Amino acid sequence: MEYRLDRNVHSLLDPRTKLLLLFTSSVFVVGNAGEKQMIVFYWILVYLPVFLLFIEKEWKAGFVAIAVYIGSFYAQLALRHDLTALESALALMLYIITKILPTVILARYIVKTTKVSEFLAAMNRLHVTDKLTIPVSVIFRFFPTVVEEAKSINDAMRMRGIEMGAKKATEAVEYRMVPLIASCSIIGEELSAAAMTRGLDVGKKRSCIWNIRFGLFDFIIIALCLSCFIWWGIGRFFI
Amino acid sequence: MPELLYLVGDRKVFYMIVFDNVSFQYTKEQESLKNIALTINEGEVVLVCGPSGCGKSTLVRCVNGLIPHFYQGRMTGCVTVSGTDASKTTLRKLSKHVGTVFQNPRSQFFNVDTTSELAFGCENFGLLPEDIEQRINSVVNRHDLGKLMDRSIFKLSGGEKQKIACASIAVEPVDIVILDEPSANLDYTGICELQRMIEGWIEDHKTILIAEHRISYLFPYITRALLMNNGEIIKEFTAKEIRSLSEDELQGLGLRAERMQDPTDVKLTADNKKSNGDKMILLNMTYSYKGEKPVFNIPQMEIPMGEIIGITGANGAGKSTFLRCLCGMERSCKAMLKIGNELWNNKMRRRKIYMVMQDVNHQLFTDSVLEEVMISQEAEDKTEALDILETLDLKEYADRHPLSLSGGQKQRVAVASAIASGRSIILFDEPTSGLDYSHMLQVSELLKKLRDNGKTVIIVTHDIELIQNACTVVIPFMQYTTETQKESEV
Repeated sequence: MEYRLDRNVHSLLDPRTKLLLLFTSSVFVVGNAGEKQMIVFYWILVYLPVFLLFIEKEWKAGFVAIAVYIGSFYAQLALRHDLTALESALALMLYIITKILPTVILARYIVKTTKVSEFLAAMNRLHVTDKLTIPVSVIFRFFPTVVEEAKSINDAMRMRGIEMGAKKATEAVEYRMVPLIASCSIIGEELSAAAMTRGLDVGKKRSCIWNIRFGLFDFIIIALCLSCFIWWGIGRFFI
Repeated sequence: MPELLYLVGDRKVFYMIVFDNVSFQYTKEQESLKNIALTINEGEVVLVCGPSGCGKSTLVRCVNGLIPHFYQGRMTGCVTVSGTDASKTTLRKLSKHVGTVFQNPRSQFFNVDTTSELAFGCENFGLLPEDIEQRINSVVNRHDLGKLMDRSIFKLSGGEKQKIACASIAVEPVDIVILDEPSANLDYTGICELQRMIEGWIEDHKTILIAEHRISYLFPYITRALLMNNGEIIKEFTAKEIRSLSEDELQGLGLRAERMQDPTDVKLTADNKKSNGDKMILLNMTYSYKGEKPVFNIPQMEIPMGEIIGITGANGAGKSTFLRCLCGMERSCKAMLKIGNELWNNKMRRRKIYMVMQDVNHQLFTDSVLEEVMISQEAEDKTEALDILETLDLKEYADRHPLSLSGGQKQRVAVASAIASGRSIILFDEPTSGLDYSHMLQVSELLKKLRDNGKTVIIVTHDIELIQNACTVVIPFMQYTTETQKESEV
């Protein structure tokens, strides 16, 4: 069967929309800006990332995320009064999870669904310098590599009997980091050498085979993000 | 424009690559290239061969511009590529003429999906998206890569990655193709596919430069071969001359002599002292990726004890996964291993079987070689640890950091800690990938030494010379791969 490249394959959202959403989520969910006044937007922004995961058919990750979120939310509500030192440390940790988890899931969604080339093209259209975007795209590329390396190292440690709860448990963290850093730095160097022999350089015009443009969902999300900021502005300066 | 050389009919032929008395040093102490003088014409296919560390990779780095633009060092002389002085231009300009396929496919992809990777070079040059689309379609259809498109790079096997790496260079409009040890991670079928790629480039009149020590698969294509040692070109062969060399002569030059053949028909030459005939029996091993059909299914496999067992099979057949299941690292695999009257489950196998991984860097954790050996011991015993290091010629490195050693030394450190752990079954995943002849022999000797000490050694490999030299038993893995897997290989 003859292969034909389809240049219109892309995820639901444009990379620019995704970044705007990430920024909005950071301000209002992690930063908790506007507090009580923003409560409706707050809950939309908390559950939107999971909705995006479901659209990408990541059912398991989505349900796990919801379970963890709801679990820690009610647990930290229960741990409000008369706490021991240990309980208050736990309550703090759970509170941090409820604040950070939605944005972490959103970031994971963005890394998984955005092609490097799309990202570079979208940033270029926003006139962001590639001195910034190329390093950021390398970091994108590096996440899965680090995870893959960490898994192999973890396997090696289990095989050699160095595990949490077994002998040398305290050194286990250090033993993990040294080979991870060593192999990531080797891969990083080889990766940049390979990318440069294929003509990647800053300050040069590059093209992108993927057709990127705004669709209906982009406008909905952009409208949502803008309303967040406008409503917040109204609350701060007029009421 | 490159300098005009001569006319063939209406076609002009040029000097593509000219080395004018080039020397290069990475560090002050050692000269990696010495007075290289070399001219390569347009359309030639040149093999650069020689043992590890002979300077062949350094030589090809001078052509793609990584030397001097990426790897710093002291360079004298001048390399002219496609008519321009490589040291006076930029990597980006050179990259329009030269495409490189590197040895290690895991680190040469900038994109996460395969389709973008094919487009990457052309996008960097700012070609029109419509043109790139056309180029990709033609390369994919020519080499029948449709099945590999729109996939995640991280879900591909080593051989598939190498195919994508070659295809992504084929999409670019370059004149010169450089292959730096492209076969290091490939099996027999992988090499056959690499040959198709090379044939395609030859049809398109590309100039090809290949650094390799497994050479026989290149014989049909090369116009000449350069033999290097200690940074010098010591001999130049015509294609006919190198083809007529015998296996012994090639091995004497530090080269891999193996003829292309299916690993299942290999004849074993290792002297087969009779072991006592004990067997362990592997029961009910099956493995499948999440939500997919099983990759392999082993109802029962008899593994002789005290032997060196080679497990052979195609790239992507699941051999490495088999080793991971065998030493109990895959939680979803519920196999049992029967030894005498004992039945070992996953957890017990993790305690009783040692695996030397393909990338040894992943299993060396500590600050010193000695400590590396001592953490494997049941009770730390310094004298015993030093004895083990002595037998593996590692005693002088006892205080060195394991990650500062050479590849072969690291592998021996891993073996030392395997011995220290007192486990009687040791697994090796591709212990000789990318090694030249003499290093392969060293590994082979090491395996025999382990066997003499009563260990059972199981290796997964497609290195035919290693199988011939070391293995006493071969188990073809093909018989256990499931039907779906076989179909996808065809």
